[in-house]
Amino acid sequence: MENKKKFYFDVKWLFIIAIVGFLLVFQVFPLVYLLIRAFFAEGSFSLDAFTRIYSTSMNWSCVLNTLITASLSMVFGVLIAFPLAFLVGRTNLYGRKLFRTLFLMTYMVPPYVGAMAWLRLLNPKVGTLNVFLESIFGLSEAPFDIYSIGGLVWVLTTFYYPYAFITLSRAMENMDPSLEEASRISGASPVKMLFTVTLPLMLPSIASSALLVFVAAASCYGIPSIIGAPAKIYTITTRIVDYVYVGSAEGLTDATVLAVFLMVLALVILFISNFVIGKRDYITISGKSVRPNTVDLGKWRIPLTILTGLFAVVVIVIPFASVFATSFTVNMGKSVFEEGNFTIKYWETIFSRNSIVKSAGNSLISSVWAASLGMIVCIIMAYLLKRTNVRGRSIPDFLITVGSGTPSVVIALSLIMTMSGRFGINIYNTIWIMVIAYMIKYMLMGMRSVVSALSRVSPSLEEAAQVSGAGWLRRLKDVVFPLIGPSVVAGWFLIFMPCFYELTMSNMLYSDKTKSLGVDLFLYQTYHSQQTAAALAGAILILVAVLNIVLSKLTKGKFSI
Amino acid sequence: MKKRIIAAFSALCIALAAAGCGKSDTAAQTGNPEVTGDTSVSGKVVIYTSMYEDIIDDMEKELEIQFPNLDIEFFQGGSGTIQSKIAAEMDSGMLGCDVLMVAEPSYSLELKEKGILEPYTFSGVDKLMFDYDPEGYWYPVRVCNMVLAYNPEKYSKDELPTSFKDFAENPEMKGYLSMSNPLTSGTAYSSVVGLYDKYGEEYFKSLNAQNVAIESGSVALTKLETGECKEIMVLEESVLKKRQEENSKLEVIYPDDGCIPIPSTIMIIDEEHSANKNVLAAKAVEKFFLSPEGQKLIVNGWMYSVRKDVSEYPYDAIPLVQLMENTIPVDWEKCYKQRDEIRTMFQNNVTIPG
Repeated sequence: MENKKKFYFDVKWLFIIAIVGFLLVFQVFPLVYLLIRAFFAEGSFSLDAFTRIYSTSMNWSCVLNTLITASLSMVFGVLIAFPLAFLVGRTNLYGRKLFRTLFLMTYMVPPYVGAMAWLRLLNPKVGTLNVFLESIFGLSEAPFDIYSIGGLVWVLTTFYYPYAFITLSRAMENMDPSLEEASRISGASPVKMLFTVTLPLMLPSIASSALLVFVAAASCYGIPSIIGAPAKIYTITTRIVDYVYVGSAEGLTDATVLAVFLMVLALVILFISNFVIGKRDYITISGKSVRPNTVDLGKWRIPLTILTGLFAVVVIVIPFASVFATSFTVNMGKSVFEEGNFTIKYWETIFSRNSIVKSAGNSLISSVWAASLGMIVCIIMAYLLKRTNVRGRSIPDFLITVGSGTPSVVIALSLIMTMSGRFGINIYNTIWIMVIAYMIKYMLMGMRSVVSALSRVSPSLEEAAQVSGAGWLRRLKDVVFPLIGPSVVAGWFLIFMPCFYELTMSNMLYSDKTKSLGVDLFLYQTYHSQQTAAALAGAILILVAVLNIVLSKLTKGKFSI
Repeated sequence: MKKRIIAAFSALCIALAAAGCGKSDTAAQTGNPEVTGDTSVSGKVVIYTSMYEDIIDDMEKELEIQFPNLDIEFFQGGSGTIQSKIAAEMDSGMLGCDVLMVAEPSYSLELKEKGILEPYTFSGVDKLMFDYDPEGYWYPVRVCNMVLAYNPEKYSKDELPTSFKDFAENPEMKGYLSMSNPLTSGTAYSSVVGLYDKYGEEYFKSLNAQNVAIESGSVALTKLETGECKEIMVLEESVLKKRQEENSKLEVIYPDDGCIPIPSTIMIIDEEHSANKNVLAAKAVEKFFLSPEGQKLIVNGWMYSVRKDVSEYPYDAIPLVQLMENTIPVDWEKCYKQRDEIRTMFQNNVTIPG
């Protein structure tokens, strides 16, 4: 029948065109405009701004700091995430579910809140943990100094390794167990199997997760602004924001010019990453949905559980406990348990203050929109990518990857300049500019989630539906969605979470009616009151944990990030 | 299954949004019904300001009584955030506000030159204690005061510097000091200009040798509480607020070489560039803020009044007249004209030396 039409129009193209169109207008055009503006600041082509910015030695030290901290965070992040993903996802470690939830916790709190917690714990003069260690081991000086490159890397790593953990966990779930089984049957120990089979198979995923961590760390603003600035360690992002805060047109140009570097850096990394991931078919996926077998840790089960537990305590429990303690403390110079120093007024404030409640509502609405619209795009794109060979199906995928690799500051800057009416679209000062910024930045995590789920579903089921006469949309609705449901919810969550407390972009895009929770949190953190900020962060954490449990219950345990 | 989840989220979403709306309507009922306000102005006015949220909460209630028919909305942010927002908005030709209560006079000079301000003739200029624009484009409306602060629960005042000069030079203080970033804070920048005029570039070389941390006021205050900092350069209002609200023991030191009072201005955006084209109402609001009643709201917010005839002064502070006896003056013209130069000077010496 299809042959009768001379110009058969594939309905899939409609979706690709819509999505590519959306990305072209709201992502590609603003970024290109930003580039042009950097070169044509005074109306004609000029490299003056570039010369001015890049001839300043302090800007070069920022570039260097960014490269160093992001690279180190990437290395350590993967070194931590890989064994954790393996232990939690593939072995009979005790308390795997609990550990999994704990490791994902850091993904769910705003990084700058964590930075504040570490600041209190590890500052060289009165840091709680430092003082504690000093008294236990009788040290004459503090063992740790958070105000250093090392301190910055530590906090960046502890907050961005979950990105790698999520990616690696997924890849491990998708692995064909038969190769590992073969190695075990041939007499390899679990450790040997890990190094000779699992690790090589995982290499592409390791590369892609490493780059994810790198870009996240390089484009992070909150952590370097809180930990780096007092230590006089500046990164590109803090410099860009400084330039933006200068408040003049020239400041904006300078920021743009510096942002170009970050953009180029991110693009180079994405090309490397795509080149490596281009060979991702390394991961052999069997036709049927099989979960890899569990590795028995044997005599290592208890020691490894203890080790993992220790890691969780140091990286998650201690800083989070510090955040909660802060939220109840009147005078930060005294213990929360000291008489008269305990209060719940900060918790009352966050629930009673108009502006906070309003911001929470704004954030909830905009991140629900971003996550929902984002997931629609992700589902369609993942399906086209994995199940069809329509030409051009990888273009939106590439654009989504570029979007998430673009530093938040750059996205926000470019949207402000292009979406405030000059080119016919005026969404500045509305929640839509935020929704779009969030989508561009965070869709990738949702995309990964759906792509990985689709890889696990055998196409044979859809083929059966097709043979029975179901059209494309029908197959999507009746076969694919029900099977990948939990992953869609997980993907939705992965987009929703970072949007809910997003800071860098919101901070530049918000207006009186669209102030977001992230902005409020940061304002309270740095301007009004740290304790209120801690209470707010605590409330977000509780909300997220509750949502997680509810979703898990609703999907009968199938849902997990 | 999925539907149920989506339904649950939507419900949550709507509930929270509704909670937000419900609360904002109640503010109108509070206050004294006997006072009849200015009913001649109506419509809407948006004010960008860098004042504390708490202060705005109180002001909103009072303003509803003063202007029963006028819908006044505040948009709060740090002066850096607001200035960058305005810069981006000017790029697009229209601002999102009608009135500005942000930053110091040097920023007003800049905006006046940009030609987006509306002049207003204020009849009580003889009562003002600070500089104002003779053509009426801007007036001082509140005074922030840069001082030193310490924590008597951790360190004794006797061992601490009592002047800005000693703050930068006392070797005992090395590594225990903090101040705000002049790049992001207008008041910090003004103070830097004042100190630069008084002590020259040397002052900032000394500050660098002291390893002073550059960070926001709230972070610095927490460090003062925990003892991580011995002394900080900070706005007086932030300490007073903590003293009154949290019963904090943190104390202000009025430096021997003078405080740096920084008047913050009020400006009206002209018809062409303003969000609501409501210049008449904007003028009425400005008039109110400059009146003794409006100034009392400022004083309640731990800032000083700009008027000679307002005798009230902030909680736990000193009278304005006494404060003005010993100050470090700031040259606003210089602040504006040499902004890049001075910022670079500061950065080269303190932020990223080398």
